[in-house]
Amino acid sequence: MSSKNEILGRLRKNVRETYDMPDLGFEKLTFADPVAEYIKQTTTTAGAKLIEVKEGDDINELIRQAYPNAKVISSNVPGVKADRNPDTVECAQDLDGTDVGVIQGSIACAENACVWVPMDMKQKAICFISEFLVLIVSRKNVVNNMHEAYKELEKLGDNSSKYGFGTWMSGPSKTADIEQSLVYGAQAACGLTVLLTD
Amino acid sequence: MKIGLFVPCYVDALYPEVGVATYKLLKSLGLDVEYPEKQTCCGQPMGNAGFQQKSEKLVEDYDKLFAPYDYVVAPSASCASYIKFFHPGIVKHECEAAKKTMDLVEFLHDVIKPTSLKAKFPHTVSLHNSCHGVRELGLSSPSERVMPRFNKIKDLLQLVEGIKVVEPERVDECCGFGGMFSIEEPDVSARMGRDKLARHCATGAEFITGPDSSCLMHMQGLAKKDGTPIKFIHVAQILASGL
Amino acid sequence: MSTLHAKKAEAFLQNQDKVTRHDQTFWSVRAKRDIQANELPEWEQLRESASQIKKHTITHLADYLEEFERNATKNGAIVHWANDAKEYNEIVLEIMRKHNVKKVVKGKSMLTEECHLNENLIKNGIDVVETDLGERILQLMNLPPSHIIMPAIHITREQVKENFGEKGLLEKNGPQGAKSMGYDDKSELEAKADPTYLTRCARYHLRDNFMTAECGMTGANFGVASTGEIVVCTNEGNADMSTSVPKLHIASIGLEKVIPNYDALGVFQRLLARHGTGQATTVYTSHFKKPRPTGEFHIILVDNGRSSILANEEHWQTLKCMRCGGCMNTCPVYRRSMGYSYTYFIPGPIGINLGMLKDKDANYHNVSACSLCCSCDNVCPVKVDLSTQIYKWRQELDDMGHADPMKKMMSNGMKLMFDNPGLFTTALKFAPLANALPSFITGVKLNAWCKHHTMPEFKKSFHSQWKNIKKD
Repeated sequence: MSSKNEILGRLRKNVRETYDMPDLGFEKLTFADPVAEYIKQTTTTAGAKLIEVKEGDDINELIRQAYPNAKVISSNVPGVKADRNPDTVECAQDLDGTDVGVIQGSIACAENACVWVPMDMKQKAICFISEFLVLIVSRKNVVNNMHEAYKELEKLGDNSSKYGFGTWMSGPSKTADIEQSLVYGAQAACGLTVLLTD
Repeated sequence: MKIGLFVPCYVDALYPEVGVATYKLLKSLGLDVEYPEKQTCCGQPMGNAGFQQKSEKLVEDYDKLFAPYDYVVAPSASCASYIKFFHPGIVKHECEAAKKTMDLVEFLHDVIKPTSLKAKFPHTVSLHNSCHGVRELGLSSPSERVMPRFNKIKDLLQLVEGIKVVEPERVDECCGFGGMFSIEEPDVSARMGRDKLARHCATGAEFITGPDSSCLMHMQGLAKKDGTPIKFIHVAQILASGL
Repeated sequence: MSTLHAKKAEAFLQNQDKVTRHDQTFWSVRAKRDIQANELPEWEQLRESASQIKKHTITHLADYLEEFERNATKNGAIVHWANDAKEYNEIVLEIMRKHNVKKVVKGKSMLTEECHLNENLIKNGIDVVETDLGERILQLMNLPPSHIIMPAIHITREQVKENFGEKGLLEKNGPQGAKSMGYDDKSELEAKADPTYLTRCARYHLRDNFMTAECGMTGANFGVASTGEIVVCTNEGNADMSTSVPKLHIASIGLEKVIPNYDALGVFQRLLARHGTGQATTVYTSHFKKPRPTGEFHIILVDNGRSSILANEEHWQTLKCMRCGGCMNTCPVYRRSMGYSYTYFIPGPIGINLGMLKDKDANYHNVSACSLCCSCDNVCPVKVDLSTQIYKWRQELDDMGHADPMKKMMSNGMKLMFDNPGLFTTALKFAPLANALPSFITGVKLNAWCKHHTMPEFKKSFHSQWKNIKKD
C-alpha cells in the first residue's frame, strides 16, 4: 500500500469524534477611515515610507526623488522607466544589483499594512532581491482587515496572480535575531516606499 | 445556610491563624459555620507529584464529609480549585461537595456580597494574584485575556478601612511555588520566587497578601533566607482584622 | 530527585544576569502580544474560532488532505506523502539527486529539524545553507535552536561577530555591509558589533548563496485545501529569496498544517504573528501556488507520528498547534531555564507535550518543567490545554517506569496520612515537623527546600486549637 493510503487510512481510523466548522460571522475590527489607518500602519509599525500621489504627479519623478542615488531600476509596470525588466531578463540572477524595484500591488489591508503583491512578472525575484522597493497601491483597494482581504483575494480566483505566486507584503525586510534589535534589510528589501494612487 | 469550613493541611499545620481568621470572619457575617474534624487534605500534593490516584479514598472521604453543607469554604484558592476541577476526574463521578466548594474570596464576593466590613488595616499591601485563583477560579481577569478588568480580592480588600492595595508589575506572573515543582526544580522555582518578591517589594508595600498561603509560604521562605524585609499576611487575616 | 531539566536549568541559572536578559527578552514579546491582543475587540472570538477550525480540520483531515493534493496537483505542483522521517529524507534526497543539487538554501522549518534533514543531506554531500538569520548564526556555530521563532536569541552580538569573523563573513561581506549603511569604513561598526552591520554581512553572504544554489526549501505555516497553496510567513523574506532564484522549490509540511480555505486562513493569519512576535503581521505572508516558469514545485506532506497522535484521547489536541511560540514566551519556567534545558528540540509547554508524544523515554525529563500556572493555556491562539496535558503526563509517568522513586514514596506517605484522619490529627498534635506536612516540605527537609528557603515556623495546629476557637 502506498504511503498516502497508509496515512489516510490511519487518519480515518483514528478519528473518534468529529467537529463542525464554526460560524465565522462575528463582528470584526473596522475603521472609520480605512485609508487613513492603512497609511498609519504603513508608516509606523510596518516601517515603510508612503507618498500620496496627486493628480498630475509623474510617477517616474517621484521614484527618482525617493531614491536619487539609484543607478539600476527594475520594473515591468507600464509607464515606469526601468533599466531591467523581470519579464525579459534571462534569469533571476540578472536582477541582482537592482537598486530600486518598482512593483504593482493590489488589495491593501488597513489593520496591518499588508498589500497583495501578485507575481505578474516572470521573475518574482524583483520583489525580494532589490535593495529598495517602490510599491504602487491604489487607495480604492484598501479593505479593513484580513478577513475582507481574503474575501477579495478569493474573488480574484485564478486572477490573483499571473504566475501562481503572491505575497502579502507589509514593509521592508526585518529581523531582530541579533539580541532582539530591530534591523531593516535582512535578506530582502532594506526599505520600501508605497506610492498611494487614486 | 450551613457552611463547612475546610482548612487545608498546610494551613492547618503552618498557618492555623489563617483558619482562625476565616472562621471568625464567617461567623461575624452571621453565618452558620461548622468544622468537620475528620478532614485532611485536598489531594493536590499527590496529583501534582503524578500520583493523583493515590488520593482516591481521600477524595471520596472529602465528598462524604462535606456533602451535607450548602457551601464548603476554604481559605486557599489553589486547594478550592483543585477540589472543584480535579476531584470528579479522580473518582470518575460527579462530586457533590466539590461543586459546593469555594475559595473564601470567591464565596464572600459572589455569594455573601458584603457592602461593608468591620476590618481596619492601615497599611499598604501588595496583592499576590496567585495562578489558580486567577486562571482557574477567575478571582481576577487573567492578564493574558482580552476582557473587562476585574479583581474580586481587591474589591473585598477595599472594604477594609485604611488599607492601600497595590499590585506588582507583571500582575499575575507565577511566583514559582507549584507544590512539588519547588522541590523538583528548586533553582527555577527560587528564581521565579525572587523575581516575584522583587516586584512586590518595588511597590513599596509593607505586606504581601494573597488568597493562597502556599505562595506566601514560598516567598516568605525566600525572603527570610535573603533577609528581605517585607511581611506576609493572608487575605483572610486582613478581612478579619479587628475581630 | 532533580530531573535532567532541573539540572540543566541549575547550570543556566548560575549566570543571573543572563537569566534576567533571557527572561526580559521573552517577557517583552509577551507584552507586545498583549498590546496586539487588546487592539482587537474580537480577540477571544478569534482564538475560539481558531480552536474550532483546527478541531474540525483535524477530525476531517483525510478529506482535506485529498482536496489539498487534488488542487495542488491541478496547479502543477508535485505532491509526495511521507509516513515518517526516513521516508521524508529519502524523498528529498531523490528529488535533489534528480536535479543534481549541490547546494540548497533553506527557510526556517521546524519539520526539517524534527526529521534531521540537514544532517542527512550533508551526509549525502549536499551543502545546506540555512537562510533565516538566527538559524544561519546557529548553523555557523554548530548549535541547535533554543526557541522556535527566535532561535538564536541567546547568542550575544559579540559572539555573532566573533563567529562571523572566524567564518570569513566580515572580511568578505563586511565592506558591502558597511557601504549599504552609508559607511566607507567597517572598523567602527565592527568594534561595537553593530547588529545592523552584522545583519548586513549575513545579507550579502546569503545573497551569494541564493545566487548559486540549485534548490530552495521552505516549510509551510499553512496548506490551503481549497486552493492547493502553501503559505509561508517570514519577516526577513528569506523563504521568498530561497524560492526566487533556484528553479526547484521543495516545501515540507506537517499534515496538521492543512486548513480548509481562505476564511480559515484569515483567522490564522491574524493570530500567528500577533502571538509569535507581537506584530500585527509578518512582513511577508507568501502564497505558493504554482511552480515558477520552467521550474518545479514539490510539496511533501509529512506524517511522522501525527496520525497516531490523533488516536490519543488525552493529547490529540496538540495537533492544533501552529508553532507560534507564544506559550514559550509566556512560560515563566522557559524564560528562566531557556531552550537548551529541555531534551526535546521544541522547548516550553508545547515542547514538553510534543516531546512526550514523540519519545517518552527520551523526553520525560521535561515534564517537571511546569509550575502549572496555566498562563500558556490562556495565551495559546488555538487553545491547546497545555498545562492540563502536562498534569496528565505526570500521572502517566509511574506506568511508564519514569516516576521519581522519592516522589512515589512521599505520595505513599501522604496517602497513609490523608486517608486516616485519626492518624493525621494525632500527627499534627504530636509530631508536626516529622510527619504531618505535605511531603514537599518534610520529605525533603534537608535538601531542595532548604537550598533557597528557610523552614516555615510550626505552630499549634488548627485541628488542635479547634475546641478553643469554637468556644470563643
